Amino acid sequence: MTLKGGTSQACAACKYQRRRCSPECPLAPYFPPDQPKMFQNAHKLFGVSNILKILKQLNTVQKMEAMRSIIYQANIRDRFPVHGCCWVMSQLQYQIQQAEEELYAVLAQIAFFQQQKQQQQQQEINNNNNVNDSASQLQALSLFHQEAPVNADASALPIASSYPNVAAAYSSGYPDHKDNLVNSFWEYDEMHPFFDTIDDRQSYIDSKEAYDSRYVHNCDVIVDDSKEYPSGSDSSLKDTTQSVEHIADNELKSAAACFSLTSVN
Amino acid sequence: MASSSTSNSPCAACKFLRRKCLPGCIFAPYFPPEEPQKFANVHKIFGASNVSKLLNEIMPHQREDAVNSLAYEAEARMKDPVYGCVGAISVLQRQVMRLQKELDATNADLMRFTSNDMSNSSFSVFPGQYGARMGHGGGSFDHNSGFSLPYASPWNNNPTGGSSEEGGDGTM
Repeated sequence: MTLKGGTSQACAACKYQRRRCSPECPLAPYFPPDQPKMFQNAHKLFGVSNILKILKQLNTVQKMEAMRSIIYQANIRDRFPVHGCCWVMSQLQYQIQQAEEELYAVLAQIAFFQQQKQQQQQQEINNNNNVNDSASQLQALSLFHQEAPVNADASALPIASSYPNVAAAYSSGYPDHKDNLVNSFWEYDEMHPFFDTIDDRQSYIDSKEAYDSRYVHNCDVIVDDSKEYPSGSDSSLKDTTQSVEHIADNELKSAAACFSLTSVN
Repeated sequence: MASSSTSNSPCAACKFLRRKCLPGCIFAPYFPPEEPQKFANVHKIFGASNVSKLLNEIMPHQREDAVNSLAYEAEARMKDPVYGCVGAISVLQRQVMRLQKELDATNADLMRFTSNDMSNSSFSVFPGQYGARMGHGGGSFDHNSGFSLPYASPWNNNPTGGSSEEGGDGTM
């Protein structure tokens, strides 16, 4: 900035209008003399009188913010003469839409892997139970042990005392991970009330219900895919049960024979 | 939307300016007499002469879009004299940044989850197109698409004002 005779250089607004820049020039704080293009854009879009009309109704702090927005709007209009700031907004809305879609996809992936992990853990528990049950069945059988279940319910077998330990170990580890995942999902849900405040001219943002239904739909898809996994533990459990029934029948028959020999007619 | 200037009724601009609506009126196709407020807003914020000069500088087939964008910006400035439509841009930009952070965090969770699973047992890949998304730590969209933020933010390294990373006008 050059000084002439102790007076400061004229602001870009006064330079453009070729008039003397007084110390009380209202536009001098916002249009430095080294950026003439900035004032040209603002002057082209708004005009000096319209800018002053806008500033007239504002306080000092608001004036600074208003001028920043006016200068930004004018610069954008210079770059994009047809659409101006509307083009910038449409681009941002498109970016938001893309980001949302990608976020949904990643969340669906996490849910899918979580579901897989649950199924693997369940299978491991069932396998462990089958091994323990078949070994203890031969020890725990007696003449009066007639309640060998026909169905494949492992919890009714005598060795069920060891099952709660496995179940407890499983349940103690699982809720922690589930809580962490649920908490992170709640954080994503919190974004949706914020989305509702956006201009409604372009309905690119789904409602919360649509988001929930989409997430639930993804989970349902994941659940449907999980049904394809073979459940080998059930068949092995049935085999064990059938062998238990066979042994029990033989014991009953020998017991009945004993009674019939000693009965008093 | 365009109304003929040969109709008896003058356009909203000429009505507002109280002048005769000539056949070649540049405002007539875009400011129908049924929407007087539209021109009133545009005239109050930008001025009729500025709008006329602006419309004369662009192609005729683009003038309707230009008028609509000016009408939107004028209405936004009427509602919010301090920020105008730039306030909405700032809100959208913050949302983009927030979504980017959320996406980065979710991708990190996914990487942690899958790395733990890979160390324990094998698993099948998620069917379809989502398998390729793994490993994208920063998301696949570009949040710095060539125009600067109106105001400085912790995630924005660009100064205020327009940057010339993109030239010309975008089409909507």
